[in-house]
Amino acid sequence: MTPLKRKQLSRAMVFTGFTLPALVAILISVEIPFLMSVFSSFTKWNGLDRAQTFIGLENYKELILDDLDMWKAFGFTLRLTLGSVIVTNITALLLAVLLDSDLKAKNTLRAAYYVPNIISLIIIGYIWRFIFSAGFESFYQITGLEFFMFSWLGDVKLVYFSVLMVSVWHSLGFYLVVYIAGLQTVPRDLIEAAMIDGASAVGRFFRVTLPLIMPSITVSVFHSLSNGLKAFDVIFSLTNGGPGNSTTTIALDIYRTAFVINRFGYGTAKSVILFLIILILSLFQVRMFKQREVEV
Amino acid sequence: MKKLLFTLLVLLLAFSPLTAAGQEEKAGPPTLNVLFYSPELAEQYNDMVAAYKAETGVTLDITVLQTDYRSVLTSRLNSGDVPDIFMSSAYADNSTYKDYVYDLTDEAFIQELEPSALQGVTVDGRVLGYPFLVQSHSFIYNKQVFEENGITTLPRTLDEFEAVAKKLQANGVQPFATGFKEFWVLPQTAWQAIANVPVENYGGYENFVSMLNTGKLKFKDIPEMSQVFDLLDLIGEYGGPKPNESDFNDQTSALATGKVAMIHQGNWAEDSIRKTNPEVELGFLVGPTGNNAETAGLMFDSNQTIRIAKDGENLEESLAWLEWLTTSEYGRNWIPGQVKQLSPIKGAAAPDSQIAESTTAMLGEGVPGYPWFYQMFPTGTEQQLGAILQGYCAGLTDRAETLDALDAAYTKIAKAAF
Amino acid sequence: MKKRRSLASSLTTVVLSIIALGYLYPLFLVLINSFKTFSEITSNVLALPTRLVFENFTNAFRIMNYPQYFINTLIATVVGVCGVVLVSSLAGYRLSRTKTRYSFIIFMILIAPMMIPFHSFMISLVKVAKELHLIGSPLGLGVLYWGLGASLALFMYHGAVKSVPQELDDCAMIDGASPLRAFFQIIFPLLQPVTVSVVVINTMWMWNDFLLPLLVLSGSKKSLTLQLAAYNFFGLYKVDWNYAMAGVLLTILPAIIFYLSLQRYIIKGMVAGAVKT
Repeated sequence: MTPLKRKQLSRAMVFTGFTLPALVAILISVEIPFLMSVFSSFTKWNGLDRAQTFIGLENYKELILDDLDMWKAFGFTLRLTLGSVIVTNITALLLAVLLDSDLKAKNTLRAAYYVPNIISLIIIGYIWRFIFSAGFESFYQITGLEFFMFSWLGDVKLVYFSVLMVSVWHSLGFYLVVYIAGLQTVPRDLIEAAMIDGASAVGRFFRVTLPLIMPSITVSVFHSLSNGLKAFDVIFSLTNGGPGNSTTTIALDIYRTAFVINRFGYGTAKSVILFLIILILSLFQVRMFKQREVEV
Repeated sequence: MKKLLFTLLVLLLAFSPLTAAGQEEKAGPPTLNVLFYSPELAEQYNDMVAAYKAETGVTLDITVLQTDYRSVLTSRLNSGDVPDIFMSSAYADNSTYKDYVYDLTDEAFIQELEPSALQGVTVDGRVLGYPFLVQSHSFIYNKQVFEENGITTLPRTLDEFEAVAKKLQANGVQPFATGFKEFWVLPQTAWQAIANVPVENYGGYENFVSMLNTGKLKFKDIPEMSQVFDLLDLIGEYGGPKPNESDFNDQTSALATGKVAMIHQGNWAEDSIRKTNPEVELGFLVGPTGNNAETAGLMFDSNQTIRIAKDGENLEESLAWLEWLTTSEYGRNWIPGQVKQLSPIKGAAAPDSQIAESTTAMLGEGVPGYPWFYQMFPTGTEQQLGAILQGYCAGLTDRAETLDALDAAYTKIAKAAF
Repeated sequence: MKKRRSLASSLTTVVLSIIALGYLYPLFLVLINSFKTFSEITSNVLALPTRLVFENFTNAFRIMNYPQYFINTLIATVVGVCGVVLVSSLAGYRLSRTKTRYSFIIFMILIAPMMIPFHSFMISLVKVAKELHLIGSPLGLGVLYWGLGASLALFMYHGAVKSVPQELDDCAMIDGASPLRAFFQIIFPLLQPVTVSVVVINTMWMWNDFLLPLLVLSGSKKSLTLQLAAYNFFGLYKVDWNYAMAGVLLTILPAIIFYLSLQRYIIKGMVAGAVKT
């Protein structure tokens, strides 16, 4: 074996050794089960019967041609995701910058904004429901503002904003952690160099910090994008898709198809389509953002 | 070489739990693995488990869920981790779980149950489940609020309900807490408004459902559906400023404190109501079927069903437990005395429940007690149709659109189920 | 200069603190309601308790079988987090340094799970877990968490590695150390902020996770986690609000304490220090 070949083999072995554990874990916990489910998408199965009937592409045909509800849900999901990705990331980044500078109560504030992310969504749903109805009624009596008498969860025109607000409230802390970590990998000497060059705080941020924290932005946007498209828990506990089906997200639609109506094969077909959509959108997004990432 | 070793180490670590986790206890008296819902009965379950263990030494390991119940049950039945005993609805669920349930027809203790309670679990003469509770739903009213507002005659028709609502509203009392936020409140309210129709016009409930399933009958062809919409309109109009945000909690607490006079709920709500206000006095009102006072009645049936898994590891013990529940002194008294609801067992005592008393009294006077026929619709319709009706209440669709949506959803589900 | 900056920063602190108070109001509601009786809660959620009902906590503690389930949750979380950090840092590092198309494909395969909705494969996962005997124990649950948490962590490491100069890799190996040792002794410590974030993020979701433990542990009463126990207070019809609120606080308290204590360990600018030496 030539020295070059040996070096290449050695490199390949190192590569394999480093990546194999992650690959095995992910295959076992996610990808193999998912492929098993994909098989079900080609069957007519209620999730319980011992026998599964193979029906080829029938499920896919039905969901593309004959399932208006699913695409309505998808449309709502897109609107919600767009709103939450933009609002959450911008707010979290702004907050991270403020909380990374020399503020006195920095650590306490960081913890304060993070805490909502720890609470179980069932509780969050209940508490916010109460705030929107009983709480707002009390606030109205105290302040007299019309704002509090609107039906924030019952009026179809307003419920989007209520759901968006609760989603952002819950997830902000998570992205705050990610952005703070990213800000702390920016080498201090680069910032100092920029200060010496006379750059303003804003200039420093856009010229030095922002490019260097692109990786954090890529991760956060990617994560909030796919989480937004998969949104289930917040909706389930806050509105249960209502009123009517106006806040039903596609993940909720899939859950109901598989577990409430017992159309398991059909539901799995829907989730395969959802996955493909997320995949395409994410590939696009990651490629676009990764090109802007800078190495030291 | 070191990296290979390292990788092997990691993989080994991954599999070491195999040895640690695979220790099952087989010795000693059997433990029955049970999956139930209704977590509001957790204390009562625990009490019963303790009593059974004291008498027989057999342990019931009960896991109680609610919202995720169906997905967990499906997942466990699927993966082979079958619970010995589980719960489900009656009627349509008989076919859902048909591959998993044990046929109880020939068990002696089945003879101890009221035939009316068994009708929901009997298919082609075979008894596929054990009726857990007998429940009723209709309009619950706060007697004190009615008294304070001078309402002495109980309403039975839509017009009478409207008159009562108007009077309450004029006195500054909110007539209804709608409960419209819960999708399941809508079907139970709506179908009660046409409870007499399948028998009078369509040859009985089974025929009615079968015609819907085959598409021979559509909701839009049923003229009496207007009664349903009229009732929902009425409740919404007199349901306060935010009718679509009212959930179960709002209903029970508002009725208990006297903030509202009427809610549409079932006897299972009584516990929460009385816990909030122990002094409250409750009664039942019939559910109006248009303006015909004679046909207005209560919805009275056994829907919550216990099922024995035919592939459960402890089949004999599971059956023994059901027998104990039906025939032993503790067992017979458990539902009326502790769960405080009506029991399906023949000759069981009456529970300490104001609503149950009201129910028994009214049925005794000849008020119709209708079965929960809407549970015969294919599985999944409750949530889907409930959501559509909810949309109607929120103003998303008008009556014609709602009827079309109901038909479309029903057809789709029925097609997939058969 | 310093005085003006401190005025601006004091102002910012005040504004952010006021916002934080409003932000935490819902949690405040959970807190006050955990000290009220059931009927106090259902009659008026917003009111302050008339007296502090500590029994809610002692009862919830007892009903929830807190000590045992605390340990279970701890095992699952620790095993899960350690595994995730280990496998993701290794893979993320290597994939980031290897800039081939092949590496990108593997990278995409490894982060694809972030896009797959859990409900779509959870039943199959239970089947797979049963085959591998990972069901019914907190340890098995922790192992299942590796694959579920690795994707995001890997993504984060992949990006963070970019701020560690490549010269360091070669530097470390000049002494004849194996790539593995080079990684753990030199590179990994420089990734501390990211590691802390990965630990925090994964600890939080594993500690509070509900659905997977429900599917995998529900057959075995002694193996349950705290979140499952707290959930028992919630029914579709009746919720034991007083115990539920107390139970929720008892469940999230360890997580909050953990987060607060970890905050102190994020040290800034370690990379700069390493480059200087």
